[in-house]
Amino acid sequence: MLNTEYPISEKKSLDDLELTISEPIKKINIRGTKKEFFTKVGKILSIILPTEPNTSSSNQQFNALWLSPDEWLVYFNEENNNVYNDLFNEISKLNFGSIVDVSNQWICININGKKTFDLLSSGSSFNFNNFKNTKNSVTQTLLNHTDVIIHHTEINDINLFVRRSFSEDLWLWIKDSARFI
Amino acid sequence: MFVINCPYCGERDQSEFSCGGEAHIVRPKQPTELSDDEWAEYLFMRKNIKGVQFERWNHAHGCRKWFNMVRDTSNDKIHAVYKMGEKPPVL
Repeated sequence: MLNTEYPISEKKSLDDLELTISEPIKKINIRGTKKEFFTKVGKILSIILPTEPNTSSSNQQFNALWLSPDEWLVYFNEENNNVYNDLFNEISKLNFGSIVDVSNQWICININGKKTFDLLSSGSSFNFNNFKNTKNSVTQTLLNHTDVIIHHTEINDINLFVRRSFSEDLWLWIKDSARFI
Repeated sequence: MFVINCPYCGERDQSEFSCGGEAHIVRPKQPTELSDDEWAEYLFMRKNIKGVQFERWNHAHGCRKWFNMVRDTSNDKIHAVYKMGEKPPVL
């Protein structure tokens, strides 16, 4: 398991790849289907939750990733501390949906460079052909037998979310595999 | 290994899914009135057909949603995929 004091400075640079652990960032899992739920989320985050599968929506502060028809992952910098409380009080407490802080459950690893998708393809059965050409696309799949959420933020630049308990193993695998790409 | 078209996420490798067994098994309305044999029949007995079978599947490593699938168990050919609650297709 990765150190709870996030190894923020951990960074690995190779010829066409740069690997960074992008922590700490705030991550919130939100679930709901009611009309009020979408209205409240839109009002608090100033963002429309993506309803199209495998997509995301972003503004300057927040990123909302589609996880399933009634579930999204929102991540942003730790500075906006009140956002979680606002969402929780406006949605969870009033039974419009579910708001869970999963900041410590997921670790964000940023991978960028020309060989980003070569690296991912070496450990995943997911077909990245369309994914790598579509900015803001999202997928949940297996990478080296580990559940991951991949957010394609810019071309050849992805944020990869992995569960904390699997993160060290995956981080070591990524660093190791990157040498052979 | 085969590819499954998840009704929510699209085409994914079979390794992302887990099979939940036979689909469309109706729970008895009055379980207390059943004999032990009838209850065991409902709870444990499955057809396990060699051929076209209606199954439940879960996209465990993706959207985590359950759905139904019509699959030929002898060659893994998928005839149809449909969401929970939808009527099974007529084959």
